[in-house]
Amino acid sequence: MNAIVQCQALTKSYGSKQVLKQLSFELEKGDVAALIGPNGAGKTTLFSILCGYLKPDSGSVSLLGHRAGSDALFGKVSALPQDAQFDPAFSIGEQLDFFGRLQGLSNKAARAETLRVLALVELSEQVQHKAGALSHGMRKRAAIAQAFIGQPELVLLDEPTAGLDPVNALHIRQLISRLSGDVSFMISSHNIFELEQLCNKVLYLEHGQLQTQASGETDSQQQYLTLQLEQDDAAAVTQSLSQLPGLVSINASQKKELVLCYSVQQNTDFDLAVLQCLAANGWRYRNLTKGQTLEQKLFKAV
Amino acid sequence: MTTLGFTLHHSQLYAGFELRRLWLTRRGLKTLAATTMIWFFLLRYAIAPASELIANDGFQQFFRSIFGDSGLTQLFAWPAPELAVYWAVSLLLLPLFSLFFTANQLCSDIERGTLRFLALRSSRLSIVLGRFSGQMLVQSCLILLSLAATLSLAMWREGGISLAVLSAALVIAVNLFIVLLPFTALMSCFSALVRSSRLAVSLAIVSLGLLFAMLSWFVFYFPDFLFLLGYLPGTQVLQLLPLQGWQTLQHAVLPLVQTIVLLGLATVILKRKML
Repeated sequence: MNAIVQCQALTKSYGSKQVLKQLSFELEKGDVAALIGPNGAGKTTLFSILCGYLKPDSGSVSLLGHRAGSDALFGKVSALPQDAQFDPAFSIGEQLDFFGRLQGLSNKAARAETLRVLALVELSEQVQHKAGALSHGMRKRAAIAQAFIGQPELVLLDEPTAGLDPVNALHIRQLISRLSGDVSFMISSHNIFELEQLCNKVLYLEHGQLQTQASGETDSQQQYLTLQLEQDDAAAVTQSLSQLPGLVSINASQKKELVLCYSVQQNTDFDLAVLQCLAANGWRYRNLTKGQTLEQKLFKAV
Repeated sequence: MTTLGFTLHHSQLYAGFELRRLWLTRRGLKTLAATTMIWFFLLRYAIAPASELIANDGFQQFFRSIFGDSGLTQLFAWPAPELAVYWAVSLLLLPLFSLFFTANQLCSDIERGTLRFLALRSSRLSIVLGRFSGQMLVQSCLILLSLAATLSLAMWREGGISLAVLSAALVIAVNLFIVLLPFTALMSCFSALVRSSRLAVSLAIVSLGLLFAMLSWFVFYFPDFLFLLGYLPGTQVLQLLPLQGWQTLQHAVLPLVQTIVLLGLATVILKRKML
């Protein structure tokens, strides 16, 4: 069995408020899973339980075959905890060295590892600086760097790009993308477009319950196209596209954007037919994407 | 490596890191400077004049005529009067200093979230043991420094130093280390419990005071339980005061047991704590 995270009937309450309600899910080795949900949905509580910071009231959690927080997971599971700060008395380099030593590295290997992970987040020049001398974004990147010390098998990232400038957010996304496959990730974020780029599995949490568990796999019978128009001709376009063979449904997801569901069996070249229809009518389009966006998948009903 | 091996290795790393905090960080150096100042004033204005007084035969006869051959007159038997005063002063003051000095073993890290980074790499038992050991190492450094200053004072007055004086200094260092153990372990508990060192100190003082008051009230009505007062941290200090030499170690068992119990309690508190 390749499941690296197994949660069964997880329940957690703070006083009378139940934050997680019978939550069950599994992640496979190599998965890059997104944890999405509104504020107060229980994402950080779930992260805290997975990291062993918090014990569930009931249910079981297993990571890499061990209970969460077990000694056997030291160095194998790493995390970017929400709002965790470095010790202000020591430099970032000294603290990362120390983390490396705790993970069983020698002094020399720990220093080499510190330099490697700081280079991953482009902070090599800050190795001698204390956390207080760094900007918020730099501190966040240093906190991300500590999650990559050694060879973790599972990395849990709570809001990894929140507060980062676009360039550094892109670097972090590229880093995760580069490492995915060898390392499994679970990423909590409100940036749905970022998660769409990175993740092959989505856990949508609301009121402590798993509302949707979507994967990158698509239904082979029915597929989707998302069409963004340049002008607001949606009504006329909808009318014309409705005539196309194979169309199952067409919805205006937002202004100038249509989501087309079609049957592959009935029309294998449906995307070409759409383009031909647009060209024939002189309608200009901005973007034609195969599939639905993650946002559309998750919030269809909204 | 076994679980015990990992725990000991991690504790050693934490203790070493605390030692670096004392010697290599600005905050540690400020602590050293403050300790030096306090001990300078104690040595200059308390220990040095008191030592000269104790060394005076007339004063010894006067003291004996008032207190008789009570335990306190044993202070004259120390090989150097400076050590006698240092012994009395440090036995009474250091436990109190220790409450303040070791209050921040865990609370700042809990508040800041730094402990979340550490808890992913080592057990909470290692964290408690490591921080405790680190604080004991740091306090040992401060004891040794102040003791070295006291010995310098004795050497300056006597014009040399004897083996008996060095041996007595070693007895003092070992005993002070043992006396501070339960107080430091007590602060491990309180610093695991709350998120600020000030609150930890306040809680420790209030708890010790309340415990003493409640036990006293209890003993007042049930005098058979008077022995319970002897189990409070630091109660052996008054018994140690008139003693000297290695016979002082006869009072070492209780603080050692108290330390083990309190460290166990601190570990349970930290294990149950949401980080």
